[in-house]
Amino acid sequence: MRLKFSLITRREFLNTLFGGWLIAFLSGSFYALLKFAYPTLGKEPDFVVLNAKDFTDIPANSVKPFPWGGKLGFIFKRPDNKTVALKGVCTHMECNIAYKPEDKKFYCPCHKGWFDMDGKVIEGPPPKPLEFFELTQEGEKLIVAKKGIKVELPKA
Amino acid sequence: MSCQRLKKWFDERYDFEGIRSFTKHKLIPVHKYGILYYTGGLTMFLFALQFITGMVLSFYYVPYHEQAHKSIIEIVTKLNMGWLFRSLHHWGAQLAIGVLFIHVFGTLLLKAYRKPRELIWITGFILLAISIFFGLSGYFLLWDERAFAAVRVATGGAGNLPVIGGFIKSFLRGGLDVTGETLIRFYGFHVSVLPFFTLLLIGIHVLLVQYHGMSIPLSQKDNVKKYEPFFPNVLYKDFILWLIALGVVVTLSVFLPPEIGKKADPLAAPPENIKPEWYFLFLFQTLKLFPGDIMGLNGEMIAIILISLGILFFFLIPFLDRKSARDEKSTAFTWIGIIYTVYFVVMTIIGFIT
Amino acid sequence: MKEKMLEKIKMIRDRKIKIAIKSSMFLILISFFTAISLWAEEQIQVFPSAPYDRYIIYQALALFWAGIIGLIVIIRMKLKEIERTQDMGIDKEEKDIPFLD
Ligand code: HEM
Ligand code: FES
Repeated sequence: MRLKFSLITRREFLNTLFGGWLIAFLSGSFYALLKFAYPTLGKEPDFVVLNAKDFTDIPANSVKPFPWGGKLGFIFKRPDNKTVALKGVCTHMECNIAYKPEDKKFYCPCHKGWFDMDGKVIEGPPPKPLEFFELTQEGEKLIVAKKGIKVELPKA
Repeated sequence: MSCQRLKKWFDERYDFEGIRSFTKHKLIPVHKYGILYYTGGLTMFLFALQFITGMVLSFYYVPYHEQAHKSIIEIVTKLNMGWLFRSLHHWGAQLAIGVLFIHVFGTLLLKAYRKPRELIWITGFILLAISIFFGLSGYFLLWDERAFAAVRVATGGAGNLPVIGGFIKSFLRGGLDVTGETLIRFYGFHVSVLPFFTLLLIGIHVLLVQYHGMSIPLSQKDNVKKYEPFFPNVLYKDFILWLIALGVVVTLSVFLPPEIGKKADPLAAPPENIKPEWYFLFLFQTLKLFPGDIMGLNGEMIAIILISLGILFFFLIPFLDRKSARDEKSTAFTWIGIIYTVYFVVMTIIGFIT
Repeated sequence: MKEKMLEKIKMIRDRKIKIAIKSSMFLILISFFTAISLWAEEQIQVFPSAPYDRYIIYQALALFWAGIIGLIVIIRMKLKEIERTQDMGIDKEEKDIPFLD
């Protein structure tokens, strides 16, 4: 059935749209404000320094966790023996992810998100690929840094 | 609906009908120079933004000379969104003062100050002075070399006023020289004294505007095409402008975050060719016009006296412009307005490029 | 006579070229050193330096502008709507219209 006239007036429609949009806009701005006003807790570091010895004997196709600030990080020895580092936190709602060696994929149990070995989203709600880090070794030290950060180690 | 009940609750206790009919009856004339009616509202919006960003910055800023500089570095480098909010406060201030000057020169040139609106002009003038002092005191809070030198020059300049100069200088500096005492004092001004008087004066200023209605420039008296209701038409247009201004402030803050210089050292020599903030350039440039010595008199003192007279004249314009007060064409004051405006613009530009 | 003149002109020209070369060398050196000194003077990072963070910031900025533009479009539609009703003269509510219920 086609109605000859609309059940809502143009004015009501516009008011709802305006109100909704305004609320979304203001809450977005307010979120940024709160993020600054609320104390900065467990902010992610630009880089962390690990003991290289602890991470030498990871078997291929497995991960070893390390603390990335207050969050979970993984040193990941890929099946092809390349070692990489990534943040072990889902890009959807920040749940910790796990590596599934049998599938060669990362899995997030919160909403069933799947990522491949390069961090690309294969399935599920995560909006962005996993974040990978730059991994360098300097003697005894293993340095995990955000991509593009110049690491300046304090001189010992 | 609960909304209706709430409305009823208030309606039973307060006379909203009066307010509603008042807003309905506020009309804005439409003519060639109509945009100038928007500059005041825009300034107010930008001030509100300054209050918000300033309040959150005050959670982290430490107003003590040993820590001030470091605390701002910490805000910018260590805190979530800190770099953004410092940048917003900086660019918001620049834009607020810029728009304020447009508002002032606009009302000057259109003679919106004329009878019966003299008090609006006076409250506005005080707000302008407050805003400039807001900028100076805020800049000083950064406690870097440049800010330190700028405040030394500015307070020193005020010290050249005859008779009261020394008194003003010591009062502003909190001592004979610019020191850590000055920082605490300026912080007090910046976050409590000035905000309080700003709110008070904006309140009076805006109330008076409501009371008198919008002024129509003499030249447009017979050219008013129609009247637009303030509510909702003009208010919606205000919103559009505010949104654009907000976007501009945020964009500038992201792309041009202000630098932080070296920590100020009261005992060190000031850095090479210091320049004050742009809204001081016209004064700075005027001072440069005068030689240090005029016929055995202190040139700087003469400059300061002349500047003060110029500012005093500006302040008194509504009372001196007798013709406008009688709603007659006042060519002399049109020219005076143009001279003030051109002088400000040209001196600011010269100061900027040299 | 003429030759001497030419000689002199040449000499002056040569001298000018030499001065030009010297001063430009000087300028280049100066700017080089100022560049070095500016570079050496440790700048405080006033903007997040990790590309990942920057990417998020630019994305948020784009989203912010989208929000603003959306709001502006809606406000303009509302304005049109208001002006339309005002032109029809039906925005003024009459005080004592009887209720139809
Ligand atoms: C019209 C109003 C205002 C203007 C024009 C203004 C201007 C400024 C300026 C130019 C700075 C220096 C920014 C920089 O270079 O880093 C500053 C800093 C500051 N302002 Fe304001 N401000 C205003 C209102 C307020 C209010 C209402 C508060 C708090 C209640 C506030 C709190 C601060 C704080 C804590 C700082 C130091 C942080 C910093 O320097 O980055 N401001 N202000
Ligand atoms: S949090 Fe990982 S899928 Fe939702």
